[in-house]
Amino acid sequence: METNYETIVIGGGVVGSGIAYHLSERYKEGVLVLDKKYPMSGTSGSTQAWVWVHNKTPSWYAEFNMYSAELYPYLSKKIGDVEYKRTGGLSPFFNESDREKAQKLAESYRKIGIKIKVLSREEVLEKEPYMNPEVAGATYSSIDGNVNPFRLIDMYMRAAKRNGVQYSTYNKVTEIKKQDGKYSIISDKGAFECKNLILAGGTWSREIGDMLGVKIPVNQLRGQILVSEPLKPFLNFTISGLRQANNGEVLMGYSMEEAGFNRATTLDVIQETANMAVRYVPGLRKAKIVRAFSGIRAMPEDGFPILGKVPGHENLYVAATHSGVTLSPLIGTLITELIVDGETSIPIDRYSLSRFG
Amino acid sequence: MDKTTIICRCEEISCEEVEEVISNGGRTFDDVKRITRCGMGPCQAKICTSMVAEIIHQQTGLSPSEIPLPRMRMPLSPIKLETLATNSTSFSTVKSVLDEVELEEGKVR
Repeated sequence: METNYETIVIGGGVVGSGIAYHLSERYKEGVLVLDKKYPMSGTSGSTQAWVWVHNKTPSWYAEFNMYSAELYPYLSKKIGDVEYKRTGGLSPFFNESDREKAQKLAESYRKIGIKIKVLSREEVLEKEPYMNPEVAGATYSSIDGNVNPFRLIDMYMRAAKRNGVQYSTYNKVTEIKKQDGKYSIISDKGAFECKNLILAGGTWSREIGDMLGVKIPVNQLRGQILVSEPLKPFLNFTISGLRQANNGEVLMGYSMEEAGFNRATTLDVIQETANMAVRYVPGLRKAKIVRAFSGIRAMPEDGFPILGKVPGHENLYVAATHSGVTLSPLIGTLITELIVDGETSIPIDRYSLSRFG
Repeated sequence: MDKTTIICRCEEISCEEVEEVISNGGRTFDDVKRITRCGMGPCQAKICTSMVAEIIHQQTGLSPSEIPLPRMRMPLSPIKLETLATNSTSFSTVKSVLDEVELEEGKVR
């Protein structure tokens, strides 16, 4: 195997593979992706994979997510069918008192071009007839949707490989050194050298940063999800809390726990998730659950993506974020611009690692 | 087993599809599962586990003891959602997306 590359990406999840693919479109130099296991064994393979925009806050962050969601239809034309569906997104509320907050959200987001409607009970039930009739209303935006995360990363990898990107999997990086203007990377399967190094380690970003003396403040935040047996198609929208996949199974869950890297599922959260699901869609009561799983979000300390050049380190880049599925087409595009053109088409200064001081 | 042998009956995954994942660098049952859906159906890998392990062994030379078992998860056998629900409407770990929207002086942040 070649040991000298122009660019190496550490981490082959949705963020790392998204960057590798977008780089490979414009860049004929050698690119290698290193993954300590096989892509999808971490966060990217244990997610509901909403492509979600409409009630992220603050508005500038929602706007950033919107740009990425807008890239999805084009992305699926380029890399193949990733089961992306722009279903529209519904966030239901059950207390009339939430309507005012929903209206404020809609008002302020209209200014940046994200159209949010605040629906009445009747409008919600017309759109989503299986929703609990006790619902008070919902916020709705047509920009939201979902994707099959396994297909997405598999297709990113296939397209990147077709364009000449190499992958080395089950290959953990153990040491990184900077020598003579190049990065030297020691891994389980040998040493590699590169000019540009991109850190896309997701939940493991802190450890990878430590190898270079760079603090990347990313924490772990667990989510637990229930999966039903395949049901006939009956949900039309991506509901914030549950969605129906192409094969008919319903994925349910929206929980947050600080549990480090512990990927256990726990009865208390499974029960709460079941309560949420039957509250939203009572018809699910009789549906059978075949599996519970959990995933660990890569959560930067202040909740926002860490993107771009690492200050003080030449040719070193970082991309560490939650919402990697939603953001991967945009992050891939922007990091590619940064490396190939030296600047990005939309500003990413506010996502710089430098904000942590 | 030939290429068309069905390994996963629930999801109709053939031997050839499993082999492709291994040839692309996959090494474990869970790698095969995520790419092909092998073992993701109603039986949750109760039938295909050993056959996938056999294919991994043949293709990579890893001994069976080096091939990790798939991760089994609750509820092991399908059960109705209402059996898990407790009908409580108070939530702590499970969130509502709209609850996370914060207002500052009456405006969205």
